[in-house]
Amino acid sequence: MTAARLSPQAGRMLVALGLAALLGVGADQLAAIASRRLPRPHPLEELSYYPSGQRLEPATLGHAETVADLAWLRAVQYYGEHSRTDMRFANLYHVFDILTSLSPHFIPAYVFGSFALAQEGNEFGHAEALMLKGIEANPTSGRLAFELGFLYYVRPGGRELRHAGEYFERAARLPDGPTSSRRFAAYVRQNAGDLAVAWALWRDVAQNSDNRYLREMAEREMRRIRRAQRTGRAELARNRVTTPVVLFERNH
Amino acid sequence: MTVALIARNTFREATRDRVLAGVVIAGVLLILATQPLSPLALGEGQRLTIDLGLTGISFFGLLIVLLVGTSLVAKEIERRTIFNLLSRPISRPAYLVGKWLGLSGALWVVAGVLGLALWLLLVARGLASHGPAVLEAAYLAGLELTVVTALAVLFSALSTPVLSALYTLGFYCVGQWSWDLREFAHHFPAALGSTLAVVADVVPNLPIFNMRALAAHGEVTTLFHLGLATVYAVVYSGCVLGLAAAAFESRDFK
Repeated sequence: MTAARLSPQAGRMLVALGLAALLGVGADQLAAIASRRLPRPHPLEELSYYPSGQRLEPATLGHAETVADLAWLRAVQYYGEHSRTDMRFANLYHVFDILTSLSPHFIPAYVFGSFALAQEGNEFGHAEALMLKGIEANPTSGRLAFELGFLYYVRPGGRELRHAGEYFERAARLPDGPTSSRRFAAYVRQNAGDLAVAWALWRDVAQNSDNRYLREMAEREMRRIRRAQRTGRAELARNRVTTPVVLFERNH
Repeated sequence: MTVALIARNTFREATRDRVLAGVVIAGVLLILATQPLSPLALGEGQRLTIDLGLTGISFFGLLIVLLVGTSLVAKEIERRTIFNLLSRPISRPAYLVGKWLGLSGALWVVAGVLGLALWLLLVARGLASHGPAVLEAAYLAGLELTVVTALAVLFSALSTPVLSALYTLGFYCVGQWSWDLREFAHHFPAALGSTLAVVADVVPNLPIFNMRALAAHGEVTTLFHLGLATVYAVVYSGCVLGLAAAAFESRDFK
């Protein structure tokens, strides 16, 4: 009865809508299969053949910050993808170098990039270079000075206490330096190499960082320090780059 | 038959348009411009040539869709030629499908010409072995443009040329981010995450058509990828044209 009352135009419209709905469901299923099974395009790696952020900057037509934001999103994604799979971060330094050249005051990029490079990528040299580039571009940033002190203090393979103390003290003198800078500077001077200090530094990150990956990194480091303290072999946590297997086997 | 007739006329009209010729020339110039830029790429000139050449196909194809495709139907309404057409025994869906096929055909020609120009340049540089990768990437770029053309036809049937262009561009941009949106959806609170997932499902999943990173290394993709992309382009375009037909049926031209 209802069908009989439909005008031909309305009938055609309903057929078209039905067809669209059917094909829409099909397209959605295909898209889901594609996003699961096809290799992802890697625009981040496409960035790697640009010589530097300075050369790229003019190409952004005055939107360097926006491009840096997009690069930041990609960098975080790249880190997340590789930290879940192969733990290889071949282009990480280059990408953070480009992004911080486009946006020299992007403090979180220096911090995250440096810790990711040092702790996960085993590239302390690059991590240090990135952080020093940040200090040069932001000489009055107490936060960055503090983070560099921290980076030196928890350096995988051996702490750099002299540099750590120097940058903690520098952070304490700067207006936006964390209030804990003076305390950590004193710790470093008095208890050189104390794991409790490293644990406190990481706990601060785990509790206060907005960056989920940094919080996860801090929690991993805190667990590692606790294991080392339990076994009574503090050097295992300090020199973890060369002994991760030992730590793993002793605790399982 | 009617569809073929409209498609042929649309193709002829599009290929005679000066915009198309201008865009093809600009595309060829871009491909040639990669040569003086190559020394700046620190040994990666070949990648730069392939990558910029393939980006040129997508970018200039999109430009044609925005400049020509989004006014396909609106122009006929404005000139009132649509009354002559629709007063004949031509169904409205057939009219839209014909328009889509005609412009898509013109875009395939553009993708083909630019792809050929890129391949010839690579041959001149002694990189003829990259031909299959460039061919596949140009094919996927053509499919991408076919999907975007379907969207342009939908919006053109519903709105003014300027708004159609903006809507098409918006869908294109969000479509390029669709896989990222799916990824981000897992990290957001439930409500926002679900919204993002729905958006990622609705917009065209354009990363399916992107193999530029592979082609830059001279690597070919799998048959599965090519097949899936082809089926997706046909199904998604069919869905969009179905919606366009339904919307166009409801329009009153009196």
